[in-house]
Amino acid sequence: MAAKAASTPTTYSPSPTTQKTKPSFFKNDNVDWVRPDGRGFHQCRPAFFRTGAVNAAAGSAYAEFGNTKVIVSVFGPRESKKAMMYSDIGRLNCNVTFTTFATPVRGQGSDDKDFSSMLHKALEGAIMLETFPKTTVDVFALVLESGGSDLPVVISCASVALADAGIMMYDLVTSVSVSCLGKNLVIDPVLEEESYQDGSLMLSCMPSKYEVTQLTITGEWSTAKINEGMQLCLDACSKLAKIMRSCLKEAASASED
Amino acid sequence: MVSQLYAHEQKQDGGLGMGHSNASGDLSSEMEVDAFRRLFPLRFYEHHLAESIRPDGRALGKARDTTIELGAVASADGSALAKIGLTTMLAAIKMEVMTPSKESPDEGCIAIDFHMPPICSPLVRPGRPAEAEPVVSKQLADTILSSGMIDLKDLSLVSGKAAWMVYLDIYCLDADGSLFDAALLSAIAAFSHLQIPVVSMNDDGKLIVVSEENGEKDIVNKEKRKLSLNRIPFSLTCVLHKNYILADPTAEEETIFETLVTVVLDTFDQLVYLYKPGGLVLAFTSSVQDCIALTRQRLKELQKILDESVSGMEVD
Repeated sequence: MAAKAASTPTTYSPSPTTQKTKPSFFKNDNVDWVRPDGRGFHQCRPAFFRTGAVNAAAGSAYAEFGNTKVIVSVFGPRESKKAMMYSDIGRLNCNVTFTTFATPVRGQGSDDKDFSSMLHKALEGAIMLETFPKTTVDVFALVLESGGSDLPVVISCASVALADAGIMMYDLVTSVSVSCLGKNLVIDPVLEEESYQDGSLMLSCMPSKYEVTQLTITGEWSTAKINEGMQLCLDACSKLAKIMRSCLKEAASASED
Repeated sequence: MVSQLYAHEQKQDGGLGMGHSNASGDLSSEMEVDAFRRLFPLRFYEHHLAESIRPDGRALGKARDTTIELGAVASADGSALAKIGLTTMLAAIKMEVMTPSKESPDEGCIAIDFHMPPICSPLVRPGRPAEAEPVVSKQLADTILSSGMIDLKDLSLVSGKAAWMVYLDIYCLDADGSLFDAALLSAIAAFSHLQIPVVSMNDDGKLIVVSEENGEKDIVNKEKRKLSLNRIPFSLTCVLHKNYILADPTAEEETIFETLVTVVLDTFDQLVYLYKPGGLVLAFTSSVQDCIALTRQRLKELQKILDESVSGMEVD
């Protein structure tokens, strides 16, 4: 069998390796620089949502923010595993996986384990678990292409998928992240910006209720910066929620026809 | 009997599942059909088969609508999205450089992986691969490598020192039966779309992709940008039940009729792969020949669809 080697040979990707040092314009705080995709510092990428991406699922959604593409399927409420103890409220089970071609270098989606529990924490505050006792709702996400700001996109897409599945929630959960690059805060970073960031702030909230379900901060932030970052995210979240709502309304009116 | 089952539909002007404000009687007879379908699936299907039709309106030997979209993944060297009915497969190819083995210094290598992520079906759990996953993965590897579609010598870069390792990853995004057929089709479409990057040797003896910065020196493979595909395999899966042969089963049909036959033919009408893993129904030679005949028809359809999408891509 000449085709497949007995032991997998070591291979390397011929793509030029990304620079380890920051390009000079990131370092210089005084000069205004343009982001790789030409956006302003406080401008988010255009968001695209579509429900009903997967027919096998109770509810599903596909989200595309620039180069970040995610599919989320929701199954349930369905029977909990027999080993689990009786519970008079429902359970939420989340899982996030990356395709091998999601990242520029093959097979590097190593943040899987973190993302699953973070998705769980972001969503559980918004779902009315009492409405499906003894059963489990499964939320599975697959990141098709990682273009930066992956987890916020997964969380927002999961909310749309849950709404598509008809799971009762207090409000849609929207999520946006902000990167700190030197003195500047840039919203909705792309992969390149994330690799050079000094710190990040990710906020998931329920816009209509003005409540935060999850706030994750990495790096060094002064109180003033945190406030600024949070405000940026909250504004962006309410705009994103409008887009998500209009997508769901379109889907609902299309199915009525 | 089939007409009796669907008699209520003539009263409604929507499709199945549209509640109407009149007759709760209509809704209950509709639920009776759904309940009958769930409780007695075999009888439900047999009523249909007696009239040579299937619940979704297809003839027994007809496959579902098939579409191919090339270049679905921009970051991959070759990619395709194939849909047969609701079954959706995304195939992507990434090329990396490896050192060829001593026994075959002029040959590259192909690694084929089939994945069923939890999104595709309620039967797949995270952390536990689906039953079908390793089966289809092995089937694909066997079919593609033994069909002779790709000459491994085409993947050589520098004899004895460097050759291409082709990583083909196929992800099932939506599982509704005929997984192998859709996966094979997406793999072939991805290979048709594949553009081998031009590489040059840098000072460390490693090969890197040519771009504006590193210039045009020492290019190793200026000429070869696309793979020539010689004998392309196309497949069709059928399920057998008594005397009936149903082509391109949905997931429901695959569960109810457990006997399936997969036939793979290539463009020269040669049999590449035949798979009948047991099952209740024993296939007579005539049934197998019927399956092969159905596959031949399907091959023509698939080839047309593939050619259309490839020529569509070349126009751009």
